[in-house]
Amino acid sequence: MTQGRTRLYHLLLWVIALIFFSPILWIALASFKTKDQILATPPLFVFPPTLANYTDFFSRQNVGEYFVNSFLISIVAVLIAILVSFLASYCFSRFQPRGTSFMMFILLSIRMVPAAATVVPIFLMYSAFSWKDSWPALVLFYAMFSIPFSVWILKGFIDGVSRRYDETALVNGGSRLHVMFKVVLPQVRPGLIAAFIFNLIFVWNEFLVNFIIGGKTTTMIPTALMIGVANNLGTDWTFVATLTTLYILPPIIAIFFFQKYLLVGMTFGTVRGEV
Amino acid sequence: MAEIRLDKLRKAFGETVVAVNDITITFPTSAVTCLLGPSGCGKTTLMRIIAGLETPTSGEVYFDNERVTTKSPAERNIGMVFQYPVVYKGINVYRNIELPLLEDKLDAAERDRRIKDVAEVLGLQDVLYRNVSGLDNATLQKIAVGRAVARQPKIILFDEPITNVDVNSRVQLKAALKRLSKQHNQTIIYVTHDQTEAMTLADEIALMKDGVIVQRDNPRRLYNYPNDVFGGWFLGNPGMNFVQYEVNGGAELGGPLFRKPVRFENRGGDRTVSVGIRPEYVQIHPQVAPDAAEGKLLRKSIVVGGQYLLAIQLGEHTIKAKVAPEIGEVVGESVWVECPLEAITLFGEDGAKIETELKPA
Repeated sequence: MTQGRTRLYHLLLWVIALIFFSPILWIALASFKTKDQILATPPLFVFPPTLANYTDFFSRQNVGEYFVNSFLISIVAVLIAILVSFLASYCFSRFQPRGTSFMMFILLSIRMVPAAATVVPIFLMYSAFSWKDSWPALVLFYAMFSIPFSVWILKGFIDGVSRRYDETALVNGGSRLHVMFKVVLPQVRPGLIAAFIFNLIFVWNEFLVNFIIGGKTTTMIPTALMIGVANNLGTDWTFVATLTTLYILPPIIAIFFFQKYLLVGMTFGTVRGEV
Repeated sequence: MAEIRLDKLRKAFGETVVAVNDITITFPTSAVTCLLGPSGCGKTTLMRIIAGLETPTSGEVYFDNERVTTKSPAERNIGMVFQYPVVYKGINVYRNIELPLLEDKLDAAERDRRIKDVAEVLGLQDVLYRNVSGLDNATLQKIAVGRAVARQPKIILFDEPITNVDVNSRVQLKAALKRLSKQHNQTIIYVTHDQTEAMTLADEIALMKDGVIVQRDNPRRLYNYPNDVFGGWFLGNPGMNFVQYEVNGGAELGGPLFRKPVRFENRGGDRTVSVGIRPEYVQIHPQVAPDAAEGKLLRKSIVVGGQYLLAIQLGEHTIKAKVAPEIGEVVGESVWVECPLEAITLFGEDGAKIETELKPA
């Protein structure tokens, strides 16, 4: 490609990226505006920024709790999911129990079912067990929610680690647990990180289930956002803008630091971890 | 330290494939035994059974007098190195060798001493604290060897460890393996399909074919006196010449190999026998010589060491001869071939060696 074409190409990429980025920019800017400035037409790009929204936001009750809930529930749930998935995918990869490929297919199908389709049965189950608004119950649900995808990613990675690794360690006097956690696990670290980040974002963004089976003590940010949108004077734009800005920061930071692993994850475990 | 005894060992995969067929053999203590054979002859399977990575269909494995057939690999106290280097990424060379030592609960000073020891023999000192990514294949394989050796097991198994290593490093690795084996007097089994490797490393070679061990002998004897057609054919480059004779139970051999008839004892009453002679023992005369049979030169090419490899037509047969440069340069279209009787091995109809002495009739 000639230099001119490369430049044009880059320019095009920038334009597309900016178009996709503009709503985020709008909401981020909005969090520094007053209500009138937010609703001004044409939209204001130059304005005296104010931190009033943030001070107002942090003076509200419960907002800290939403963040703590979101962080803890998603991290704990995904950690449990990763541990279970690692054990499961090691088994699928190495022992290949009868029906492995069918089970992998089922796992993937679970992932394909729209969340709305599962809401009613889940609601009924959780009501029957009196698990509504329960921290461990919600963690358990999100762990389950994260397992299929993690198993898919990790199985691909473990398949990519030669069985000679296992055998060398076994011969060298290691137990099966030593093989799994000391030998194989470090080799699939990129897969673990990819699965972790992906599922963290899924859970972080999840709204429906948290809304249905969560409650006062387990409210996460998306639900809080939905509840807080309306106040007695109409839509509470300053609150929405502030909470959204804070809400999208952690994923952006995580993605920034783990971009290369995300790429591996997006190929869905088909690009094998190199040995 | 530990001898390995296999008793009627058999391993079948499914109904049809028998990888190891009723092998009974003892690998002596503190010796390097090479399992040599073509690909797919069952040598790797045999090795994996000894390591405990495969369960035999029947038969037993003993280390000294202890039955280990049902023991796990970890309980057998062995070391093993595979064809592809197994190296743990993300940690340095030192930690790679150290990992199994940690599992053995050795104290820090002892671990350090052992790691430095093997690093010295293998020439790994310079990279000891480097991360393993970016190191070449030969170095990676050295790490794998180091890891197996540092535990000081009584038995070490090598499964074609230098097949994937470049030629220069091969020599170095081979030398290191030799030194290591002498140092700790371990019992070593070394699987390979490369005869040069086997010849240079082994105290004894066990030649394998189709799941059975055809012959177990020291390299020189195995090469010079194979007790089966297979050994003659598989070893050497090129392998042995075989010329078939219809003797119909008789005991006399004549042309085209021998100008004067030769007698042997045909105790088994074989109807056909094969006369085997290695190309380097075939004597070639550029001019007429007494006791030599006349043949026609078909091809001539230069091989390793400046020697000439000749293809010669003798009657209906074509035989190969490896000769010194002085002779190779001057041979014309007609050559005279002499096969010294002491260099000849006779094989019967079943391919097994006939124990007999050849004498001029």
